[in-house]
Amino acid sequence: MDQTTAGGYTTPAVAQAVRTRRRGAAGGGALSGYLLISPAMALLIVFVLIPALWIFWLSFQRWDLISGTSDYIGSANYQRLLLRDDVFRKAVFQTVYFVAGTVPTSMALGLFLAVLLNRAMPLRDFLRTLIFTPYVMPIVSTALIFSFIYQPDIGVLNAAFHAFGLPKIDWLNSPRAIMPAIILYSVWQHTGYNTVIFLAGLSNLAPELDEAARVDGARSWTRFWRITWPLLSPTTYFVLLINIIGSFKVVQPILIFAGGVGGATSGGGGPDKAAETIGYYLYVQAFSFFHAGYASAISVMLFLIILVITGVQMGILSRRVFYR
Amino acid sequence: MSARARRRVLELVPRYLVLIPFAALFVFPFYWMAVISLGTLQSVFVFPPYLYPLGHWENYLSAVGALADPSTGQFLQIPWARYFLNTIIVAGGTTVLVLVTSVLAGYAFASMPFPGKTVIFGIVLAIYMVPTEVTLVPNFIILANLHWIDSYQAQIVPFGASVFGIFLMRQFFLGLPHELWEAAQLDGTGHLRFLWSIAAPLARPPMVTIALFHFVAGWNAFLWPLIVTNSDNYRPVQVGLQAFSYADATNPVLHAAGSLIVTLPILIIFLLAQRQIVGGIAASGIRG
Repeated sequence: MDQTTAGGYTTPAVAQAVRTRRRGAAGGGALSGYLLISPAMALLIVFVLIPALWIFWLSFQRWDLISGTSDYIGSANYQRLLLRDDVFRKAVFQTVYFVAGTVPTSMALGLFLAVLLNRAMPLRDFLRTLIFTPYVMPIVSTALIFSFIYQPDIGVLNAAFHAFGLPKIDWLNSPRAIMPAIILYSVWQHTGYNTVIFLAGLSNLAPELDEAARVDGARSWTRFWRITWPLLSPTTYFVLLINIIGSFKVVQPILIFAGGVGGATSGGGGPDKAAETIGYYLYVQAFSFFHAGYASAISVMLFLIILVITGVQMGILSRRVFYR
Repeated sequence: MSARARRRVLELVPRYLVLIPFAALFVFPFYWMAVISLGTLQSVFVFPPYLYPLGHWENYLSAVGALADPSTGQFLQIPWARYFLNTIIVAGGTTVLVLVTSVLAGYAFASMPFPGKTVIFGIVLAIYMVPTEVTLVPNFIILANLHWIDSYQAQIVPFGASVFGIFLMRQFFLGLPHELWEAAQLDGTGHLRFLWSIAAPLARPPMVTIALFHFVAGWNAFLWPLIVTNSDNYRPVQVGLQAFSYADATNPVLHAAGSLIVTLPILIIFLLAQRQIVGGIAASGIRG
């Protein structure tokens, strides 16, 4: 498993197949090559590859995780999941809501801040560090901080609302407000990451084109849309992919903001299950209710969704993106 | 100041007018948490809230159980030292294991010939696509069968190999001048010896990046430790903090102090190493 997920998002060790450069073939039998990769490969196979394949088998079983035996029940898990489970349906909708609320906002904000930071100026590194800090901090602490901010009677967000003459909102206990609250937290938490990646992408662009357009009298708005934006598209697609995948599998913020809300016996998920997501439902089914088979069926669905998104984006990537 | 320099500074003013408020928004939650943690039970319930600290530093002593909780008169019994020790063991152990496996595999993939290398490396990259969340159930079953539930190794070993680490080390070793290896070979040095005495010492920069990433990730780990620990003996500080925050009877001021205590070490590491962390993210995220 890869744990480099500060805040539920995968860090970008880029899955870019890099052409293998041939090195001197002399020295060291093939055996020592296998020997050197074996510790890493053993761990990856046991804790990632086998589990990833195993969920498909488990999803056709009924198993309570405690007793040693499981029963084959055919496609019953899938039938229940896809046809009869209202909570799962709600979880799918709320996940899409979360993705649609988080990804465009934090990407647009990240790009906006990156463009502003993309020039030599005093305090640049300092400002970048401030923007990036939330991404590195432990999610339990930052989510706890935000639950203070969202506190209906004493929270600073309602104080701000009050200052503008708006009504108090019980953010984490209202079915309509809880998802926007979690989205706001995630945008705060993740924008710095997008800023840093966009900033790296911007600094790789050749400045000559922009300079030429400036000399020709193009306004900065035009220069951005006609030159920077198309040239930046490989970065944009990369950020989009990482963001969508990261938000589709969101669990931890839900656990902290809505884990106890909506009743522990019902598995949390917020008032009226308004903060239920696919990843959180999977966690609850597995580790609150011990439905290993059912949770595996949810895992398979989540896995397939992520594979389809990746496939679609790779397809777009190979055709549409402007490469220098 | 010349006219040109003055114009340049003036040009920057609108940028600062946007950037500084945004940057302030990003750090405001930490600041406000500090304000709460330094307040009193009364000051916290004032609406609209105080936006400046009151300086009750003794709250931190109450949060760690050295002083009585002023709201109840009781001493908090939270084994923070144990939690911190557990977190250091888990984050440190994961980091060391990841470094060893990444250096070995990265070197082999970059510099050693063996049949099927390209295919195996392709599998490694494909493994990167598997989200941790999807494999929670089978991993729990594996650890249960190993009788590792509620242990350090349950939190370390599953994360002991990192595709990110292998990829980064491989990239670095591919860039080493081939002459180094040729010279070593003239002396009759084998791969392992070459790696140990020449290649790995040169690979400090990517190793620091990998170590920072995995230490921070290990420190922040929450979901998996929540699943595989059930006693304070092995529970890391994040899970401890969550349990603390769910205990409604305790004073919110102390919750705030507790979350800042847990955040502070990682904040210090981040500020000291922010160049490597931010640079590592930018480089690994973009460079082709």
